This record gives sequence, C-alpha cells and structure tokens, in this order.
Amino acid sequence: MTINQLFSFDDLSRATRRHFLGSGSLGLGGLALGSLLNESLKAAPSADEPFAPSPAQFPAKVKNVIFLSMSGGPSHLDLFDYKPELVQRDGQDCPASLTDGKPFAFTSGTPKLLGTPQKFQQYGQSGAWVSAALPKIAEIADDLTFIKSLHTEQFNHGPAELLMLTGIPRTAGRPSIGSWVTYGLGSQSRDLPGFIVFTSGGSLPSSGKAGWGSGFLPSVYQGVQCRTGGDPVLYLSDPEGMDRAVRRQSLDALNDLNRLQASKLKNAETATRIAQYEMAFRMQVVVPELMDISKEPAHLLEDYGAQPGAASFANNCVLARRLIEKGVRFVQLSDWGWDFHGTNPGEDLRDNLVKRCTLMDRPVAALIRDLKARGLLEETLVVWMGEFGRTPFREGRTAAGPNIGRDHHPFSNTMFMAGGGLRPGITHGVTDELGFNVVENPVHIHDVQATILHLLGLDHTRLTYRFQGRDYRLTDVSGKVVKEILA
Amino acid sequence: MRSTDAILYRFVEVAVLLLGVLPIGASGDDSSSKISYAKDVRPILSKNCFQCHGPDEHARQGNLKLDDRTSALSELPTGTRAIIPGNPEQSELIARITSADPAVAMPPRETGKRLTAAETEILRKWITQNADYSKHWAYLKPNRPILPVMSDLTWPNGEVDQFIFARLNQEKLCPTRAAERGSLVRRVSLDLTGLPPSIEETDRFLEDARPDAYERLVDRLLASPNFGERWASVWLDLARYGDSQGYIHDPPRTIWRWRDWLIEALNSNLSYDQFTIEMLAGDLLPDATDSQRIASGFHRNTTNNTEGGSNAEEYRHASVVDRVNTTMQVWMGTTYGCAQCHSHKYDPFSQKEYYQVFAIFNSTEDNNSEPPVLETAWVGRDADRAICVSRLSDTRSRLADETQRVDSLRGEWEKGVDRAGLPKEIAEIITLATDQRSKDQQDKIVAHHRKTSVEWTARQADVNAAQAELDKVATTTLVMKEGPARPTHVAIRGEFQNKGEVVEPGVPIALHPVPAGTKLDRLGFARWIVDSENPLTSRVAVNRFWQELFGIGLVESSEEFGNQGEPPSHHELLDWLATEFIRTGWDSKQLLKKLVTSAAYRQSSEVTEELSARDPLNRLIARGPRVRLPAETVRDQALFVSGLFSPKMYGPPVHPLQPVNGLAAAFGASTDWETSRGEDRYRRALYTKWRRNLPYPSMITFDAPERSVCSLRRIRTNTPLQALVTLNDQVYVEAAQAMGRRILQEGGDTIASRVSYGLRLALTRKPTEEESQRLVSLFDTVRASLSADPSKATSLATKPIGPLPEGTNSLDAAAWTVVGNVLLNLDEFLAKP
Repeated sequence: MTINQLFSFDDLSRATRRHFLGSGSLGLGGLALGSLLNESLKAAPSADEPFAPSPAQFPAKVKNVIFLSMSGGPSHLDLFDYKPELVQRDGQDCPASLTDGKPFAFTSGTPKLLGTPQKFQQYGQSGAWVSAALPKIAEIADDLTFIKSLHTEQFNHGPAELLMLTGIPRTAGRPSIGSWVTYGLGSQSRDLPGFIVFTSGGSLPSSGKAGWGSGFLPSVYQGVQCRTGGDPVLYLSDPEGMDRAVRRQSLDALNDLNRLQASKLKNAETATRIAQYEMAFRMQVVVPELMDISKEPAHLLEDYGAQPGAASFANNCVLARRLIEKGVRFVQLSDWGWDFHGTNPGEDLRDNLVKRCTLMDRPVAALIRDLKARGLLEETLVVWMGEFGRTPFREGRTAAGPNIGRDHHPFSNTMFMAGGGLRPGITHGVTDELGFNVVENPVHIHDVQATILHLLGLDHTRLTYRFQGRDYRLTDVSGKVVKEILA
Repeated sequence: MRSTDAILYRFVEVAVLLLGVLPIGASGDDSSSKISYAKDVRPILSKNCFQCHGPDEHARQGNLKLDDRTSALSELPTGTRAIIPGNPEQSELIARITSADPAVAMPPRETGKRLTAAETEILRKWITQNADYSKHWAYLKPNRPILPVMSDLTWPNGEVDQFIFARLNQEKLCPTRAAERGSLVRRVSLDLTGLPPSIEETDRFLEDARPDAYERLVDRLLASPNFGERWASVWLDLARYGDSQGYIHDPPRTIWRWRDWLIEALNSNLSYDQFTIEMLAGDLLPDATDSQRIASGFHRNTTNNTEGGSNAEEYRHASVVDRVNTTMQVWMGTTYGCAQCHSHKYDPFSQKEYYQVFAIFNSTEDNNSEPPVLETAWVGRDADRAICVSRLSDTRSRLADETQRVDSLRGEWEKGVDRAGLPKEIAEIITLATDQRSKDQQDKIVAHHRKTSVEWTARQADVNAAQAELDKVATTTLVMKEGPARPTHVAIRGEFQNKGEVVEPGVPIALHPVPAGTKLDRLGFARWIVDSENPLTSRVAVNRFWQELFGIGLVESSEEFGNQGEPPSHHELLDWLATEFIRTGWDSKQLLKKLVTSAAYRQSSEVTEELSARDPLNRLIARGPRVRLPAETVRDQALFVSGLFSPKMYGPPVHPLQPVNGLAAAFGASTDWETSRGEDRYRRALYTKWRRNLPYPSMITFDAPERSVCSLRRIRTNTPLQALVTLNDQVYVEAAQAMGRRILQEGGDTIASRVSYGLRLALTRKPTEEESQRLVSLFDTVRASLSADPSKATSLATKPIGPLPEGTNSLDAAAWTVVGNVLLNLDEFLAKP
C-alpha cells in the first residue's frame, strides 16, 4: 500500500476522523492522522464533517508544549502579583464587600488581610515584579509572558485542576489537554508516545490520572506516565533473565507466525499487530536512553539542579527538553506541593515557600534558557500555572496559628508562558489593589486553553470529537483566544 | 514523520481505516422515488441548520424553526417563507443554501458548514414533493418487518440471516464459508463466557456428530456461570462501577455486592425488563427483597467528592444529573444530557423536560455520601450470615455480662493492686481520685482493669472471632433510598444554584405517554422505560448485544439513536430483533442464542482484499467478526490457557500483581497495594479492585474506560504499549512460565508434540506444519542462546512464578517460557477468531 494508492479512493474526501477512530485500529505512532489528512486534503475540506480537526486553519506558531502544572495552587500574591496596598493593610479585616456571598474552602466570617512576607523587586527591561522566592525565574523575566488576570470558578483542588487540564470541572473522564493536542496534531516521534507525563513532589496531582487521561478519545491519546523509579514506561523491561537477543528471536518468531496468519485470513489488523510489536521493541531501547540524563554536560545538570538517578522536578525538566528534541508533542510535568494553607510549618508562606520554590525556580529557569539556547523555544510553548490562586487573607482555620497560609482563591491568579508566537516580557491583565478580583482583561481557564491550541494552529471551536451524540471540545462552550499576548 | 519507515508504519495501520467508507445507512433502493424526511432530509437539516433553527428556543435565529412543518412553512419576519411546498425556487431555504453572497448564504460561512450539491438536491426534491415531515425513526415504535424472501435457500439459517443475506444480495456480495469448527468453538466461548474453551471442551464439540452439536454447545455456554461474569463486564462500564468514590481523595467504596448481584442476575437470565426495573428502582418495589434493594445500587455508582470544603449540594446535584443522563443513555440511546443546560439542539427534548426527569431522581436520601447502605450477605451466604449474626450477638451478650462482673470488682482492685507492677501511665492515673480523672483517663483504667481478667479477655476474644467469622460472609453495599421530596427547579444554564421555574416529574412529550394512573416515581419511570410502547429500549438493548458479538452495532453510535446518531446498517433487522426481544419476554439468553447460531455469526473471518476494501469494518457481515479481544478477556484468557486461572466467583475485589507506583494519591495514602495471596492473584479481571483515579494500568492500556462516567462502547486501539503489557507485565510473564511448565508436563515427550500442544492450548486448533516448524526452531534457538548463562535461564523460568518442580531442567523451562510468551502474544490469540 503506497500513499498514492491510499489516497486514490474517492471515498477518502468523505472520510471523517470519526470513521477512522471508530474502526478499531490505531497505533501509538499513528497519531498524525490529522496532519496527514490535512496535508492531503487541504484543497478539499470535508463538507461532511466541518468540525473535523483541521490543523492548518492558520499557521502554527509552536509545535510542542511543555505544561508545568503546579499542583495545589501556588500563591500568586507571594510570587508574582505584588500588592503594596495589601502589605500596608496587613492584619486588617478583609472588606465584606469582597467576600460576601462567596464560598471559600476553609474560611468563613471576616478574615484578616495578609500582606506578602516576601520581598518583591522589578526585573529586566520589562520591569516585571517577581518575588525574592524566585530569583532564577526573575532573571529570565524578559522571556516570559505573564497573565495576572487568570480566574476560574472552582475553589476545590480536584475540580479546579480537572477544569485546568480537561476543560470540565466535575466529570473526571474527559480528555485532557495533552490528549486533545495529540489527537489534533499527532506526534512527530516515531518511537515514542506523543504525550508524556512526569510527576514530582511525591504525590499524584489532585486530579489524579484524569489530568492526562484520554477520556472518551481513543486510548492512544492518553498521556503515558513516565516513572522515575522502576521502568520509565510501564512494562518496558523484558522479563528478568531475557536478554535482547532472546527478545529479538522471540519477536522474529512472533512476526513469522503472524505473517502466516495474515496470509491465511488476509486480515489487515494482523499487519498492524506486527508493526505494533516492532515499535514496542524500538521503544525498549529508545526510552531508557532518553531517560538517562547522565550524559548531559555537568554544567547543564548543575543549571537545572538535576542529579542523574534522582526523582525530582529538576530531572523532569531535563527530560522534558530531551523529549521535545525527539519530537514528543506534549510533555506535562505535574509538581505536587503548592497548597500553602499554613496548617503546618511546611505550608508557611515565609521561609518554607522559599524552600519549596528552590525546587522549582532553578529548573524552570534553566529549562527555558536551555530551550532558548538550542533554538527550541521558538517552536515550543512552556506553560506554568496552578489550578487557582490564593486568598489575599489568612486562611480561616489557621488564622490564629503560628504558620502563615492562604485559602484557595478562584477569583484571581497569575500564570506565565514562554515560547513561540508570544509577546515576551509583557504582563496582561490587572487585579485590584488587594489582588482579590480581576479588574482588567480577565482571562478564564478556557481562554488559556483556547490560546494554547491557537498557538499550535488549532481552533478550539473546531477541535471536536463526537461522543454520546454531541461534539465535545476542550473549552466546552466557551473560551476565547487571548489575542493581546500574541506576537 | 520524516522517516519513510514511520510513514509506512502509519499507513499499515490507517490503511485498514481509510479504505472504504461505505454509505451504510443507504440500503440500496435509490431508485429516486420519494424522498424521506426521516431518512434523507432530517439528517441534513439536523447537521447544518438545527443548531440555530431547531428545537432550542434560546439559540433560535431569525425566528425560524425548521424542525417542525407548521413553523417552517410560516411567514418569517422578513416576509419570506423558508419552505413553500411544491415550489423550491420560491423557498427561502433553497435560496439561502445556494447563495454565493456570504452575507446571506446559509449556513453562515464562519461555521465551516456547507451543503454538498447532492444534499441541496435532496432538499430541493423534497420541497418539490410537498415537503412532508415525519418523526425521526428512532422515536417511532418499531413495526415487526416482514422477513425478506430468500432466493438462495442453502445459506440462511434463521431470521437474522434472511435480513443479512438479503442485504448482501442487494450489494452483490456473497457470504463467506462457515468457520472451521475449532475456530467457531473458540469464538463462541470467548463471546459468551469471556474464556476460551479447554482442550476437553473443544474435543467434546469436535467429536459431537449430532446435527445440533453447535446448539448444544451454545446451551452449555449460556448455562455456564462464566456467562454472567463476561456480560457483567459490559454492565460495569455502563454503570460506571468502581471500588472507590472518585475525585481527589478517591477513598475506597464497598459496593462489590452490587457487582455480584449483576453476575447472578445475568446468569439466572432475569428478564431484561425486570432487570431494568430492579436496577433503577428495586428499592421501591412492593416488599422489596434484599436482592432487589442491592440491585438499586446501579445508580449509587456515582462519584462523591470528599475534598474538604466541597459543597455537598453541588455534588449531589451532579449525581442526579449523572443518573438522568446515564439512564437515558443506557436504556434509550438518547443524549438527554444535552438538555441539561438548554433545550436540545437536535432532538425534541426541552430543558424543562430534562428537569422533569431530574425531578424523578431528585428525592433520594444520599447526599454526596456513601450512606444509605444495606447490610447483607455474600452471594449464597445468607444462612451463614444469619448464624454468624446470632453467634456474634450471643458472644456480645456474654461479654456484656462478664464486663459487668469485672467492672464491679474494679474498686477493690484499685485499692489492692501492687502499683509498682502497673504500666507507668496507669500507675499515674490510679493515684488520682476517681472524680479528678478525665474521661479519657478513667477509660484507660477501666480498659486496663478488664484486661487483667482472664475470663473477660476470653469473652472479648470470642466476640472478635465471631466478628471475623461474620466478616467472611457479610458486607455492606450502597443502595438507593427515597428521602424527603425536594422541589426541583430548572437549573438555568445547568448551574445548580441558578434556579428557574419549579417542575413536577414528567417524561418528554415526544415519547410515549405514561399510562394513566401511574405514580411517576423512579419505579413508575422504570416501568415506562420498559413499556412495550417505548420505541427505543428494545432497539438499544438488541443493538448492544449485536455490538458485543459483531464488534460494531447495527447502529454504530450505540450511545445515540437520535437525530445526531448514525443510521442503522440493517434497519429492518434491528426492528425485527427489537420486536422479537419483547415478544419472547425480554429473554436475553434466547436472543443471544438466536444471534450466535445464525450463519452470519458462524462465517469464517477470512477476507478478500476486495471485500476488505469495500467494507473494512464488516458492516455488511459478509464475513465473520474478527476484532481484538476486550481488556478483561486478554487477561482472563492468558490465565486460563496457562492453567493459573482461578474460577472462584464473587466477593470483595482482589489485588493481582501490578507494577509498583511509589506515589501517594493527592492528600492520600500510597497508591500501591499488597498483592493478593493464593488464588486471588489469578482471578478474572472483573474482580480486580477498580480505583477510579488509578485504574489497573493494563486494563486502561487495552481501552477499558476509567469508569467515572457511563461508557457505552469502547474504542478499540492497537498500540505498542499493549504489546509491552502482554510481553513484559509480570502477570503475563508468570502466565508464560506456567504455560511453559504445562507444556513440559502435559505436552508429550518430543519438542514437536509439545509445540503442538502449546498451540492447541492457546488457539484450540492444531498447528500447521509451517507453524510447528517455526515454533520448534524458536525453541532450539532460544535454548541455545540461554545455555550461555544458566543463571539467567533460571530467572526467566522462575521469576515471579517461583521454584521449578523437582526434576525440571531450568534451561528447558526457560525456553518453553519464551515459547509460551510468543503464543500469548500471537495476533490470533489476541483476536476473536
């Protein structure tokens, strides 16, 4: 079967993605259906399925995404969104006009305002305000695009993170953003899954595996979680005692026997099976090589703060760059441990926030510098965000305690992105003088998702999948591209 | 994608998919007579126009409503009429869809929608022919079709075949010859029981020369207890079953007794209407039995959010929404959930009607909570439970007596006890006067004193033992229970706090009415669902059976029969089966027998290139159904053929081998588990503990859904990650080792006989000469490779299964493990034959 033969069928122009997916035979590498079809069918968009993914509606600015998910909700008020007024009014009652009728997870009554204990300063040409807890990120502030007007309507971790990663707060079981992207664009890597996930912080994120699940999309689109202990990808190692020669011998026999079967029944799926096993065999070699960061130059590992063999966010950042280089479409790093309520000393916004930040600050800055140095930042989008912000007041339960913490806050938050297609060194959106509400250019979670897809050349209203009789999309029924931050 | 290799690789895979996109719905008679609104016109309007000109009053543009004839014909604000029957040229609809002017062209250009010339022609012709409307086919009660007359009497075997064959005739296709009996026995066993046949069962069938040998085989399989386990796995997806509560903490949930009820109900062939009523409203049946109350747990499989600070009402509301949507999906193939936020855009369901059904489910007691639960016995252990309960009660009362006696001695004891011999804490408390002790301190003294009594300790041990005995036969399970009525409001935009008008229970007006005098609670609603007037329930049910057997439903979109669904490939067959199902008293096993004894089902799955190109998905059934096996069967089959398989049924979920994760759940405990001991390690997949946040990884890899929401069909994929599971997962390595040992022990004395035996175990057929030679050469090559390092060979033969039996050569065992590993990965092994 050659490409020409394949595309000579008249029916092809009527073919829809749904038909492909429904037919029962898709491979991990075979994710480029979208782009493949698109390239061939550009001249004749399918009238039958106008909502079929059509990646070239406009040129993509970036090819890949590194999504840094700060699980737990880092405090925008102590990291980026500097509010001198809040510092001044520290300890005063939070105005009832702000809190009335609003639900907070662990706070009721009249809470006390909490000015940041962190020192802030402006950095770079852009003059971005960054907290002293993030000295390395501060250095690259001019490469970053900040959104300080991020908001959500979810104030519990699980739903908020589900909304951030799947577009829907209450129903686990929807496709995650990485699944949508690989569904829409496929992957450029032939030996690796198109969507790879790492976790750090010793815990799964709040949304569990739903944060990289494929929901109702075919399971080929689910994020493959790479692990830092044991096999980097589940079941990658051959059984103990079986060396590669024996694995090869057994696969040769398997292929021969499958070919005999194919010659008898002529079933096309058997050929798929053979290809599937060969790719698995290649993955067994490629993945461990990729995961081995010991051959990275020592100074680079030092920049990231990574150590070969360790399980850390820093190591994951190095791996993210290595995977992007190999053409993996979407790399998601979930970093647990940003839920600073003040219920124990570890959750105190003074020294312990700084301590927590050192595990993230250095690797993130190093990653962005490293991508830039290699010319990869132009075609990669790095997204840094948490599921919600933190309240400008002290959390109710711990207000009288020794540790300073903040409650979950859906009404404002800060995130940043870096990479192709963005205006670097700008800040979009403004919160009020206490950092409570957004007062200028609000950006909803769905808007961020729409913008990420846009940068990848995907229209969020058209990247849809028919499930239960309805066309679903990542941004549900809303979302608009944040044009102001685009180059 | 620059590599040619990669491109080719993709093509190998997608080739299967791309080849033919057969216009399945059109059944041939395109002799251009009368255009059908339901079949031809409505799909075009639905796809292109209804979003703005359909049933949803809020989305309506230009005051134009095209889904109903009176409105579509009436004068528009612009003075024109969208449709003028008999006069397409004057009809604004035609003018707009053919306009080149982007300002007036419809659909609007920015939607990306556009009608093809053929579609425009259909609309034009329909208007010429008077623009008659009719209801969507799925909302009309099926009529029992007349059986097609057969031109060739040699092939068809029954009614199913008459429909299939008539269609093949129309398409000028021939059916494929019957499958070999060895393949057939494997196919039907896998389909009906989820397990392959043993060699003995295969031989029994192959040697049975009676003309009805196959029917007898089918009867045996339908009567097997494994039947209920296999079909339960279908219902676990539908019911979004899990052994955890979902969301962030995903704490454990005990509802496995509902799963066991399901297996029992399927095995006892509870009629589908009764099965339905018990699952939806078993608790409301008069004098409901425990079994019926357990059945009502179907809708207790919704998730709960236990995260601190969550609003219980928000999640309770979400559960009710889920119950409404799941019910309508599972039984009526209707995406009713679309009307949750706005009136349905394509089907005749208003938002108000959505909340009328919501009202029916809105008065149960549960409130984002595990209770109410029912205390009950394990399957078949009711009598034992009664004995254990009474024994526990006896031991408790003896303990109470003893406690009283011992406590009465405490004052004396405190005075006389040698304080030096007491634990430090107790010694300190005892120096305090009784009224100076805190409650906690007093409790500690009491507890300590009781333990000093040998008699009391013995009575307490009796209680513990009785409790332990009870726990082996008793459990709790989540059930439905009516609580105080709650008023139901339309939730504006679907937001639970945004309350619109109050509504009473009701069913959509577009469907059959509730019989007069019916109380419309869950029970009344369940009866309405299985009312023989219901146009959807039996169609949806038979379609699901068809989907499981043939890999794809007669209606491909088994979750959606409405306007946005796919038209059926064999409409008359669907309706015939639907009416037959009701006629035979909703007898599932009888229906399944009808399907698997059809000649259509019994065809060989060999395919010509021509047929494969013409009908890649086998929608026309011109060959046997060959699809990759479902996740559960992949596991169960490997365990079965290797001899590890445990036939133990029912009971609490088990923990088979799984890779170590080394992670905690967010705010939670470790995500790893201790592997079950003994046969629980080798139970069928459906007994594996299902944690929604972390489902058993190899199941997910083989396309099982996460089960947070109802799932009506699994999309089958083939990925390298699946290959890694069956090659390297400890479960499958262990199965290969067991298979190797079994071959060595039972497969005769020569390599050739052993190879032949191994292949028979896996595929229930004898190898061809070529296959046999290839396996022999594999064995020889591998054995030679392994001989270089005996310690590796030993590992390969024993980890994780354990030491070799006395006298077994480890090199042989290792080489046979490799052969077993290959057999367990054959394409033929992983596919339905």
